[in-house]
Amino acid sequence: MPTSLPSGLSRSAVEELSRQKGEPEWMLQKRLQAWDIYESMPTPLGRRGDLGTLRMFSNFKFQQLSPYVPSNGNGALPAPIEQSLKEALVDQRAGLVVQVNASVVQIELDEELKRQGVILTGLDSAVRDYPELVQQYFMTTCVPVNSTKYTALHAAFWSGGIFLYIPKGVEIEDPILTQIWIDAPATATFAHTLIIADEQSSVRYVEEHNSAFDGDQPSLLDNVVEVYVKNAARVEFSNMQDLGLNVWNITNKNAVHEKDGSTTWVLADLGSRVMLSNIGLGLAGNGSAGELVGVFFTDHDQRYSLNTLSDHASTATNAETLVKGVLSDESRVEFIGMIRVRPKAQQTASFLSDHTLLLSDKCRAESIPSLEIGANEVSASHGATTGKIDEEQLFYLMVRGIAREEAERIIVQGFFEPVLQRIPLENLRARLRRSIVRRMSGSYETEADTWVDAQERWEVEGVDEYAVSFEGKPAEEEILLTEY
Amino acid sequence: MASEMIIKNLHANIEGKPILRGVDLVVKQGEVHALMGPNGSGKSTLANVIMGNPKYEVTEGEIWFKGENILEYSPDRRARMRLFLAFQYPMSIPGVSVANFLRRALEAVREGNKPLDEGENPTGKMARRKSIPPAEFRKLLQEKMRLLRVDNSFINRSINDGFSGGEKKRAEILQMALLEPEIAMMDETDSGLDIDALKIVADSVNALRGPDLGILLITHYQRILNYITPDFVHVMFDGRIVKSGDKELALELEDKGYEWLRPSDEENGVTANAY
Repeated sequence: MPTSLPSGLSRSAVEELSRQKGEPEWMLQKRLQAWDIYESMPTPLGRRGDLGTLRMFSNFKFQQLSPYVPSNGNGALPAPIEQSLKEALVDQRAGLVVQVNASVVQIELDEELKRQGVILTGLDSAVRDYPELVQQYFMTTCVPVNSTKYTALHAAFWSGGIFLYIPKGVEIEDPILTQIWIDAPATATFAHTLIIADEQSSVRYVEEHNSAFDGDQPSLLDNVVEVYVKNAARVEFSNMQDLGLNVWNITNKNAVHEKDGSTTWVLADLGSRVMLSNIGLGLAGNGSAGELVGVFFTDHDQRYSLNTLSDHASTATNAETLVKGVLSDESRVEFIGMIRVRPKAQQTASFLSDHTLLLSDKCRAESIPSLEIGANEVSASHGATTGKIDEEQLFYLMVRGIAREEAERIIVQGFFEPVLQRIPLENLRARLRRSIVRRMSGSYETEADTWVDAQERWEVEGVDEYAVSFEGKPAEEEILLTEY
Repeated sequence: MASEMIIKNLHANIEGKPILRGVDLVVKQGEVHALMGPNGSGKSTLANVIMGNPKYEVTEGEIWFKGENILEYSPDRRARMRLFLAFQYPMSIPGVSVANFLRRALEAVREGNKPLDEGENPTGKMARRKSIPPAEFRKLLQEKMRLLRVDNSFINRSINDGFSGGEKKRAEILQMALLEPEIAMMDETDSGLDIDALKIVADSVNALRGPDLGILLITHYQRILNYITPDFVHVMFDGRIVKSGDKELALELEDKGYEWLRPSDEENGVTANAY
């Protein structure tokens, strides 16, 4: 029975963790090397004049956290987890993994998929059972240990974790659902997700990050997601982050692609006190493609730093990044979206857009889209807008009888709707809509289930045959309004 | 009893600049009033001030509707009292479909004359609203869509998003038909329309006309009055109504223009082409 480690991060804590887990020597050495890298790297402080998310992390009291707290292990899931699982579960699912703090407590995988050779297991077990795969893929080329100081820390202390291998040609239709829960204060959880999609396989994977504990004493989730997309494989990875405001979150996600491989990232960030998020699309194989759809909603004094990278390293690669976010109260969000086209990446197409809506006078958003273009046969563009809700739009809705608060909500819903429509999983889409409405209605007893435009189409019978239309020319007198 | 909107000596500014300079006007349910006047005379401002657009500051005067002074009411409350404004430049709201918005607006308007918002609502809690069953809404919508002869594709698009000028005006009238206002202001609904579109829009307005609807039809040109016959015609100049009459006045204006009605400087205090 593993026991929690005391507070404090140190080389000896790394050794103790590895010893408790009974790990092979190579993993202990990997952890210790990572610890040394962590110690030697300077703490990132961000740019002068940025909104200060990295600087906040530099003051975070890592030493007050216990780097390893397993779940209490009595088998039953805590009530909020049970409840959330119920909401998240769709009948049609291929697999399920639940991790609480540092332990994977539940794993299910469809029997047929097992027969086909799909592996879904805790990463701890994979170290024992599939050492070659783990040695080859764990924090080597996708998210290398030394990517950032915090990935090195992660590599030193990772625990629990999910290992998914999809063999050649296996297509998993139904989603695999995973949940990572933190239910204790003053803990550091280093959850790791390693997905290897072999040639021509496909998978839809959903990972949710939640927490369930009270009090101001913060916990940390420093997680890494690595996705290897082999020849012509397809991966859809959705992540919904709804951690409590007493959790700090560092997340590094990357997908690397071989020829014709493709990945869709769907990222929904709603929770956590401070979040530092790096998401990458490594397009190293000819013809590989990536898509990143992100939504966020921040309030109170949340701080986010969102960094996306579309890294085109080979010919005929495509990427599209679309991020939409709403800020309220005194929250702050920094977005840095990078498109990098390396010299060999001819015939590349890459697009990025970032739109933020500010609901209060005290929130702040900073958006920095950048392009680094080293090839000449390239189509790349980016755009970013930041603005407040248009008073004229509000007035328009209010003149139709709708009270101001609801009018704001409708505009926010409309703002998010185009991105939500890009989220493939209906269940996730519906829950996101609800979360957003709930966040906006505050403590008011309102119709939290209502989404004014839930893509519902109205078909009214017996009108089309009477209808007349005219070719109204788009009037030249139009006033151009806030573009989203 | 027919509802009445009574405007008394209304003065309003935008950014400190006076635009309305003492408007007096009474519009009753069942009547159609045309409000004419040159550009910048204050017609649109009047409509916006009646609905409570926060851009404008009312400095003097009163607006009474159904026996209440509504100047302190929020725009949504005025709408729930069944005042309506068909906008000259309707806003687009991307991502929100016309049909779903209409349903929400209809539910709101049916709440009637009471405050719903946080600031206005003394209980601090928003009442759980009554929603309209889809079947009932569908039936209502069918009736109005047939009346105005619009098709399904129209109501499933985002509000005014990518609409042509004519489609926007038509969407405004569909909203008006569904929300059944007692007094509706139509702000230059005819502007930017070619003759065919103008006819469709005018037909729609005529189809809605009746004893329950009072209309204040704001227009720059006499043209639309060939299709919608007003009971009264008013001419606005420099923020005041300077002449009122019946439909003959519109024809006279068509003939003579507006200049002959310009108030003299002494009387008016400022020179021409102010607002």
